[in-house]
Parts: sequence; C-alpha cells; structure tokens
Amino acid sequence: MSLATDTSVPISADFHVTRSRQNVAWTGLGALVVVVVLALFPYIVYSGTTAILVQAFIVLTLASMWNLMAGYAGLVSVGQQGFVGLGAYFVLILALHGLSPFAALPVAAIGCGVVALPLWWLVSRLRSGYFAIATWVLAAAIMLFIERFQSLGGGTGLPLPGFTGMNPTLITAYTYWVGLAVTAAAMLAVYVLLRGRLGLVLTAVRDDEVAARSSGARVGLARLIVFVVAGIGCAAAGGVLAISQLQVQPTAVFSVQWTAEMAFATIIGGLGTIEGPIIGTAVYMVLQQTLASYNAWYLIILGLVAIVVALFARRGLWGLVDERLHLRLFPVGYWLRTGAGNGRPRSLRN
Amino acid sequence: MTSLLELEHVTKRFGRVVIAEDLSFAVGAGDVVGIVGPNGAGKTSLFGLISGDLAPDAGQVRFAGRNVTRLDPADRCRLGVGRTYQVPRPFADMTVFENLLVAAQQGAGLRRRASYAAAVAALERTGMSSQGNVPAERLGLLQRKRLELARALATQPTLLLLDEVAGGLTDPEVAQLVEIVRGVNADGIAVIWIEHVVRALTAVVSRLICLAGGTFVGDGEPTAVLAEPAVREVFLGTDVTAALAGGTLETTSAADAEREPS
Ligand SMILES: Nc1ncnc2c1ncn2[C@@H]1O[C@H](COP(=O)(O)OP(=O)(O)OP(=O)(O)O)[C@@H](O)[C@H]1O
Ligand SMILES: [Mg+2]
Repeated sequence: MSLATDTSVPISADFHVTRSRQNVAWTGLGALVVVVVLALFPYIVYSGTTAILVQAFIVLTLASMWNLMAGYAGLVSVGQQGFVGLGAYFVLILALHGLSPFAALPVAAIGCGVVALPLWWLVSRLRSGYFAIATWVLAAAIMLFIERFQSLGGGTGLPLPGFTGMNPTLITAYTYWVGLAVTAAAMLAVYVLLRGRLGLVLTAVRDDEVAARSSGARVGLARLIVFVVAGIGCAAAGGVLAISQLQVQPTAVFSVQWTAEMAFATIIGGLGTIEGPIIGTAVYMVLQQTLASYNAWYLIILGLVAIVVALFARRGLWGLVDERLHLRLFPVGYWLRTGAGNGRPRSLRN
Repeated sequence: MTSLLELEHVTKRFGRVVIAEDLSFAVGAGDVVGIVGPNGAGKTSLFGLISGDLAPDAGQVRFAGRNVTRLDPADRCRLGVGRTYQVPRPFADMTVFENLLVAAQQGAGLRRRASYAAAVAALERTGMSSQGNVPAERLGLLQRKRLELARALATQPTLLLLDEVAGGLTDPEVAQLVEIVRGVNADGIAVIWIEHVVRALTAVVSRLICLAGGTFVGDGEPTAVLAEPAVREVFLGTDVTAALAGGTLETTSAADAEREPS
C-alpha cells in the first residue's frame, strides 16, 4: 500500500521533507490488524454483540463524515439524515428491482453522491446557522417527497427484500462484514483525503478560513468535495442501517437523531481530528448500552457529558490525549528535516 | 507601460466611516510604495479591497491588466496578490512549514516537490529556517508576523502587501526586515507597505502615500510628503520631522498592544 510507505523527498543538500514524523507504516499495520480482528468477530462472539457493533459502525461512519464537514470544511449540517435516508431508500429501490441489498449498497452510495451535487447548489450560498437550517429543511423535504411514493410503502415503509432463503446467521454475519467494510472504507477515504493536497487546504480552512482564501485556497471547491464525500459516506451508513434492520421506515431512517448522534460522537471525541470520532463513537456506544433502559436519564446524561466535555476539554477527549502525548494515530502532516535526511528533527514538541 | 495594480474611482464606507472616497491610484510592477495614516484611517481596509477580502461600494480594482473587482481572494492570490495580516492569522494547528505549503501549493499552484522548495525558500528568506516544524500556535507575536511575511512570499506574488510587519521590532530587526523587503523587490516584486515605523519605510520606499478621511492627503517622494502641511495636520501631536529622523508616527499602535497573544 503506497500510503504505508514513508517517502522522503530531498529538496536540497540541506533539507528533506517526509510525510509526518512517525512512520506511517505502523498506522497501516495497526489499522490492518484491527480490521482483521474485527472481521473475525462473527466467528467468536454472539450475534447480539455483532449487532451492537454494527450500530457502532454506523455511528462511526456518520461521525467521520460529520467531522469532515464541521471539523474541517466549516459546514455544520443538521441534515445529514437526508443522506442516511436516501441511502437506505436507494438500497430498497435497487433491492425491489432484484439486486442483492449487499450489491446495491455501493451503487446507492455513489448515487447519493450524484444527488449531493444539485443539493449543494441549493445550500452552498448559505453560511453557518442558515446552512444548518437549510440542510435540515432539505432533509425533511426529501423525506416528504419519498413518502409520496406508495410503491415504496408511503409513510410506513417496506421490508427489505432479497434475503429470502438465506440462513439468518449468515445474514447477521454478512451485515456485520458490510458494516465493517463501509466503516473501514469511510475511515480510509477520510485519511487519504486529509493526507493529500486537498487535506492541506481543509486543515487550513479549519484553522483560518480568511487566511486560507487569501493564500490561494479555493474554499468553495474544497467544500463541494467534502459535501459530496460526506453524502456518499452517510448514504452508505444508511444502506447498512437498512440491511441491519431488514426494513426501511421513513421516520426511522430520516430521523434527525442520526445527526444528533454523529455530532455528539464527533464533538465529544474531538472536532477536526481523524481520531476524535473513533473515541467519541466508543464513548457514545458505552453510554447508550449502559443507559438505554433509563430512557429520559439517557438523554440527560448524554447532555451532561456533552456539557462537561465542552467545558473542560474544548478540543474533545482526543484533544486531552494529544496535549499530553502528542500522538497521531493517523499522521497527515509534513516534516521538514535538516541535513542529509538522517538529521534528527528539530522540534519543540518534545 | 501599464500598471500592475490600478484602483479606479473606488469608494468604500463602513457606515459613517469613509475608507475610500472616489479613490484612484496605480502601482507599477516593481514599485515599492509606503502607506501611512492615522489609526483607523482605513489602511488595512484598503488592503482588503486590493486582496479581495472587502468589496468596494463603487469603482474598479484592476490587477495585471484584468478587472478583478468581482474575483475572490483565492483567485486574486493566484494572479499574484500576496498579503499579510496586521493581526496575524496563522493556521494555528499546523506547523510553520505546513503553513507555507498551503500558500505554495494553492497560491502559487506548485506541485509537491516544487512546493516544498518554495516553502523552504520562504523560510530561508525570512530567517525562519530553524522553525519549520514548530506548530504555528507556539509562535510569539513577532514570529507570527514573520510567518505572515513568509506565507505571503510562498504564494509567489508579483504584488506583496505588508501590513505593519515592523511594529515591535528592535532597530537591528527593522534593518533586517528592510533588507528582506529590498531583496524581495530586487526580484521584481512590487511592494505596498503600511507602517507606523516610518524609518523602515523611508529606508526602502520611493513613494509614500498618506491616507486619511478616504483620500490621499499626500502622495509622492517620501521626504516631500512628510513635509507637507496637510500630512503634518493629520499627525497633529506627533513630530513628523522626528519621525523621519528615526521615530515612529504613533509611538504605540493601540491595535497592536491589545493583540499580544496570551
Ligand atoms: N468590517 C468592518 N465593518 C465595519 N467597520 C469596519 C470594518 N473594518 C474596519 N472598519 C472600520 O473602518 C475603519 C478603518 O479601519 P482599518 O483597520 O482599515 O484602519 P487602519 O488604517 O488599518 O488602522 P490601524 O492603523 O489601527 O491599523 C475603522 O474605524 C474600523 O473600525
Ligand atoms: Mg490597519
């Protein structure tokens, strides 16, 4: 994998540039081990556990996408459930036409990426609060539009066809693997995006949009790309949702709760870091599993956690880790080395 | 010869504050122009009009023979306008080197290898070579101003807009900065330099503009401009002759004092 190689580009006799300080090979290897171990779970744990993990995959995928938008591109969307719902419905439509839901998922995700283009045209002129409200309205409009189709079950939805004759255990395992694959692909996409030329632009926009613009960064184009990528990612998560529930119900897939979850996980974990959504998702899932039976308390504690983190860890939980350890699980930076390439990096960080 | 930058009948107001009133002027390629004026005169806003951060109420901004009035800052930067901010705006969570890479890749449109070289060149030119890997948020105010200069240079501009980069510097540091600007100009880059430290300006500019009340109350040879009664009027209370000899027009820039990073 080319990502895992740490190429060093000599500039002159005195300077060398490497991608990040740490060896990226460890990131690749570590990620691979985690994915392989997770892939073995259906053989070693109960289906209840894999079902919870599928939920975690959905939240992590959504959080990573929301982080890309809000954490980097300055796009605070309250309407990502629009893409979750569209993804679920695209899978349903393709399944109704005889395609396996598993095969339908990538097609549905790409399709939603295409749909994102005209939607971007509608909302791109708006900033901050207006953008947030517009995306919310748009998501609601998409749901109302889809509910008009009786062939798609109208306001009540339809069960997802294409599973007849399949072994339930196998369905559970496949669902899990699809969820894992979608999450791994989403994380990889975010990483590749942020490591590349566009990533530098997005990181600059995150830090100071005005300065980014006057340094030549075409912020609008960067935002468009992020919006489309996030649309694809959220739609893929919606597809996983449809498959894991074996049905598509409009109020469930278009629920604003999805955006609340992705925002919570991202903000708790750390906005504007690749690692943040991972930690945030873990925290969210633990809270959800331990408190789910307390109903109202669940929401209150979720709110309290958000407030505490906002007060005492402005940069999220990963911000706390980073402050102490200066750790990057997914290094995206550039490191300037002096000397003939083996000179020790000059750094204030240690 | 056509001018590099032309403002034609530009008007800009913020409520009752007049930044520019039917203002027209031109700067040629390779010129070095100094701008002085009292606090709040609109010097920084004038840079905003040139760089595209601000849109004029009326009039036209032309750059390199093109009407850029409707172009956004990114496109103007790509055409060759590089600016610094009076209150530094670093990409705080990125290293100094990464700050410069953004400018080299986006502003100058350089590919990977070339962008590294351009960033290193900007580091060397501004004397920041040893700070490439320092996170920008760790820099003090003076270093941040230096980073502003380096980042503007990394966009490979043909017009460099410097907004009070000399404030707070010691005499040897001002001399060093003047040398940097001279070097930049020797490469054919035009410079417009807003500065309260007049001795820095007079050391390098061939033309001095005094902006007040939306118009140029003085424009021409520096010594002559500073001697004009209208300019002296604007700086009532400060001794312009002393300023020329080595002082500053405003002893302290109130704006700078409150902007020391914590
Ligand atoms: N975006 C804005 N909206 C409203 N008023 C503004 C805006 N930007 C600047 N002003 C006002 O315009 C005037 C000129 O500001 P500007 O910063 O351009 O002055 P300046 O000459 O650079 O001053 P200084 O010497 O303090 O840097 C000030 O009165 C300021 O309050
Ligand atoms: Mg100013």
